[in-house]
Amino acid sequence: MRRAYVLIAGLTASLVITIGLMAATARTSPAPRPYGRALGPALPRDSGAGEFLLAVVGGVYDTKGEAEQANAAKPFGDLQGFYVVPVGQFQGFKQEVGKPGDFALVSVFRTQEGAEDFVELAAGFGYAATILPERVRSLGGLYAGLGQEENPDGSGPLVAPVRESLP
Amino acid sequence: MRKPRTSHRVMVSITALVATIVPPIVAFHWSRLGWVDEHQNYPGTPSGYTQIVNRFGQPCSADAHAISMKWRAADNGVTYTFAFHKKLGGRPTAMVSDKGGRSTNLDNDVYGHIQNQHLQPYVEHGIYGYACRAKRDGSDWSTHAFGIAIDVSSAEEYMGKCTSTVNENHAQIWKSHGWHWGLSFCDPMHFQYATDY
Repeated sequence: MRRAYVLIAGLTASLVITIGLMAATARTSPAPRPYGRALGPALPRDSGAGEFLLAVVGGVYDTKGEAEQANAAKPFGDLQGFYVVPVGQFQGFKQEVGKPGDFALVSVFRTQEGAEDFVELAAGFGYAATILPERVRSLGGLYAGLGQEENPDGSGPLVAPVRESLP
Repeated sequence: MRKPRTSHRVMVSITALVATIVPPIVAFHWSRLGWVDEHQNYPGTPSGYTQIVNRFGQPCSADAHAISMKWRAADNGVTYTFAFHKKLGGRPTAMVSDKGGRSTNLDNDVYGHIQNQHLQPYVEHGIYGYACRAKRDGSDWSTHAFGIAIDVSSAEEYMGKCTSTVNENHAQIWKSHGWHWGLSFCDPMHFQYATDY
């Protein structure tokens, strides 16, 4: 009788261990990737050097401090809004803005749709944002939001130049 | 054997009457609004960036903003239109037209619960969904870029506030439908269909 109890206990224990191992294996098995390899959570800090970009401007200021102060007063909820950059990093920027100042609140895009989406987003938060009529040439420098727009093919973010942005 | 007192009998009768009448009234109320919590075809709530991509695709994809809905803010009367992922709504129900979506989660179930439980007064202005943007002051993609995050009452429940004054009234509804509330990281306006990101 005692041997039967030991046998039952052993079988039960082995069953529990087997189920545990199966569950652990299932939990750690690689998940399928129907959408391809993840790009990674961090945006590439692409300045688009040499490209002709569409600049959405939220204001121009004399000093970096003033620009940062103005930017802090324009939160986009929990999203990143404008970036504070020196206007000198975009060729043609000063002429198009027609307003003195060395620093600006900017977000740059490669496509008209991307720029318009951002203007709409800013308007939703009650901020004026203007798309400069002509593209400006990026000379490199600080990151100004490039890559935060949809690829026209719908696959994900646009992370490479498009025909309109190439020199 | 003692006979039940008259007051006891009255109490039992009233209880029985209420128990009989209330459920049909509630059912009638809901049916008049044309709403049922369908709870159809919810995706699992992903944990971490890789699972988010595996389940919802890349940030800023066409699927991330395939469905849109309107929601009126109770305090200023403004109706906000926002987009979100096709796996989180847009499936046809009595209340929602067929938008080509896969589930009933957001536009039928969460929204319907908030309306039917009369919690709409706690949905205040600043309601946002999909946006192809990074997290504020960061370099990582926001969950908004995947269309799996909604900001509600964003002016009142601003980022950095570690308590809640209005969204706390309906947060439980979001949670019971797979959403994680940003109050845990001091962002009480934010509800996202993902954890650990």
